[in-house]
Amino acid sequence: MEGLNHAWTALTTTPAAFAAVGGVIWGILGGALPGISPSIAMALLLPFTYTMDPIPAIVLLASTYVGAEYGGSIPAILIRTPGTNAAAATAIDGYEMLKQGRGGEALGISLVSGVIGGLIGLFFLVVLTEPLARVALAFTPPAYFALGILGLSVIASLSAGSLVKGLMAGVIGLMIATVGTDPISGVNRFTYGSPDLLGGIPFILVMVGVFAVSELCAQAGKPAWDRPEKAQTRIKLPSWAMMKRLRKPQAIGSGIGLFEGCMPGAGGSIAAFMAYNEARRWSKHPEEFGHGSPEAIAAPECANNTVAGTALVPMLSFGIPGSNSTAILLGGLLIHGLQPGPLLFVQHPDVVYGLFGGLLVANLSLFFVGMLVLTPAIWLVNRPKPYLMAAIYALIFSGIYSIDHSLFDLYIVLLAGAVGYAMRLLGFPFLPLVLGLVLGYLIESNYRRSLLLTNGDHRVFIEDPVSLGLLITAVVFIAGSALRDLRAARREKDVDA
Amino acid sequence: MMPKDFWIGSVGLGFAAIYWFEAGKIRISPLDDPVTAAGLPKALGIVFGVLAIVMIVRGLLEFAGRRPAVSGGITDQPKPGERMRPHLRAAGVLAIGVAYLLLIPYVGYALGIMALMLAISMYIGAPLGVRSVMTAVLGGIFFHLLFVELLGIPLPEGALIETLLGSKS
Repeated sequence: MEGLNHAWTALTTTPAAFAAVGGVIWGILGGALPGISPSIAMALLLPFTYTMDPIPAIVLLASTYVGAEYGGSIPAILIRTPGTNAAAATAIDGYEMLKQGRGGEALGISLVSGVIGGLIGLFFLVVLTEPLARVALAFTPPAYFALGILGLSVIASLSAGSLVKGLMAGVIGLMIATVGTDPISGVNRFTYGSPDLLGGIPFILVMVGVFAVSELCAQAGKPAWDRPEKAQTRIKLPSWAMMKRLRKPQAIGSGIGLFEGCMPGAGGSIAAFMAYNEARRWSKHPEEFGHGSPEAIAAPECANNTVAGTALVPMLSFGIPGSNSTAILLGGLLIHGLQPGPLLFVQHPDVVYGLFGGLLVANLSLFFVGMLVLTPAIWLVNRPKPYLMAAIYALIFSGIYSIDHSLFDLYIVLLAGAVGYAMRLLGFPFLPLVLGLVLGYLIESNYRRSLLLTNGDHRVFIEDPVSLGLLITAVVFIAGSALRDLRAARREKDVDA
Repeated sequence: MMPKDFWIGSVGLGFAAIYWFEAGKIRISPLDDPVTAAGLPKALGIVFGVLAIVMIVRGLLEFAGRRPAVSGGITDQPKPGERMRPHLRAAGVLAIGVAYLLLIPYVGYALGIMALMLAISMYIGAPLGVRSVMTAVLGGIFFHLLFVELLGIPLPEGALIETLLGSKS
């Protein structure tokens, strides 16, 4: 009750509510621009928060995070360019729906699922902060390694059609992740003397290349002076019947987002991929996944927006930032002399509950701001194809340059585009590559840290209960996918016979 | 002709061998752990090689199980030149991108992005006319305002523009 009072006071006596709406608008813009990640959008605001009061300042930063996590799905659906890493899973079916003339419906599903995910994440942030933070403490390096393996196990079911090609794509992703400075010894790997490669190859460069540039290349093969054939010019919110269908994937997405958000380092990308995979596994229409399934948008969108809330749990409770975005939020707290940790709740309850109140306003305003932003966005993608493609190319070149102010990054994007185009031609799935890339660092660094701690004893992975549980789950996932594929192959044979 | 899987596997096997060989060149540091910095890359090279062999075997099995094609029939398949056209056009998109990257240090972001937009839109089918030029110019101004003025990103000004402006002042 006291917390509710603090939240109400913060929203009515400070400009926190305005900061929440402003942060959401800025976040959506940042998230929608490829290259401007949630953390960059937040970092650009950080200097302005110096002169602000603590509560509106923190609310502004946190709301930007909420808006950016959602904003990434807009270009993912409209132009197959994930604005954020976490939106990569949405790009597949979202863009398929757009091609079928159902772009407005896809955007509506992503908006509603994002809002639902955000509110669920906020609910758990408020109610379960302390107990969930204890779970995060149980995560040792072996457990993080096992978490990465669990993430990789998703490849088995994302490789519908060819498991070998899916595995090859996953290994290529892991190979790309090894470029740069070694996480343990600091030795350079595959950098060939180039300082540009020392920090490794950022995920976003590869994602934008394989998804967006390869799509532009494919579109260039059929030049046309026209507008998209099946244009839908308005956002379409899901009907009640559709909402009923989306309940299960949304619940799956939120559950995974809750779990992943509380694990520092896990983040929205893994949550989105796992949610996509699990939604497909439990769906009544798994065959629609990859071909424009509404469930395939609802689950990852719900997951990454839930993470936007639950990722604050370890940051607020222990001062452990699990991602770049929460690290900037931590910076925002420290700028105002607020030290995260258990004492924050005792010494500055007004700030903590003010933040919760601000996040509630942010998540609710996300719906209305989203509705306003999406209609002009749909209008934009219905312009003649050559102009649209030119604008996308210009956006990619401008946005990617913004990350590190490096032209070298743009060459990497073009190279990734060429690889993506080749993968399309040869029937390789993209998602395993992205998954390998995202999880490579997590898996390698924690595998080697675990062995350092035990002098090379591999038993640590089965002696640690969390690690053992996660590894068993991974085995179950892989076995389940293999069994499903086997059954499908048998069914096909029976039909042929 | 051998199936696609065979060729994918063969190229993959070659790539795995090169990758494994390059992984072997990674320096061993005194600070290294038992796995070493080369441990994972070497393992990945081997795994990729095994997967490539599986692809080759799959291709060979498919080839062995294939029925001989009936000769003399009318074929609808496009000529090799026609088949290659979409891929050449795709390569053109990448080439325009590379040209932009080579030019931008000289002409600067504002002019470069306008030229890029005009080149791509015409390449994908827009006619050369006032509308296409205006779209490129307005688009360039919009991106300049968004990234340079609003977000404060220091995009290249261009050596040529700087020299021209410098010589005027």
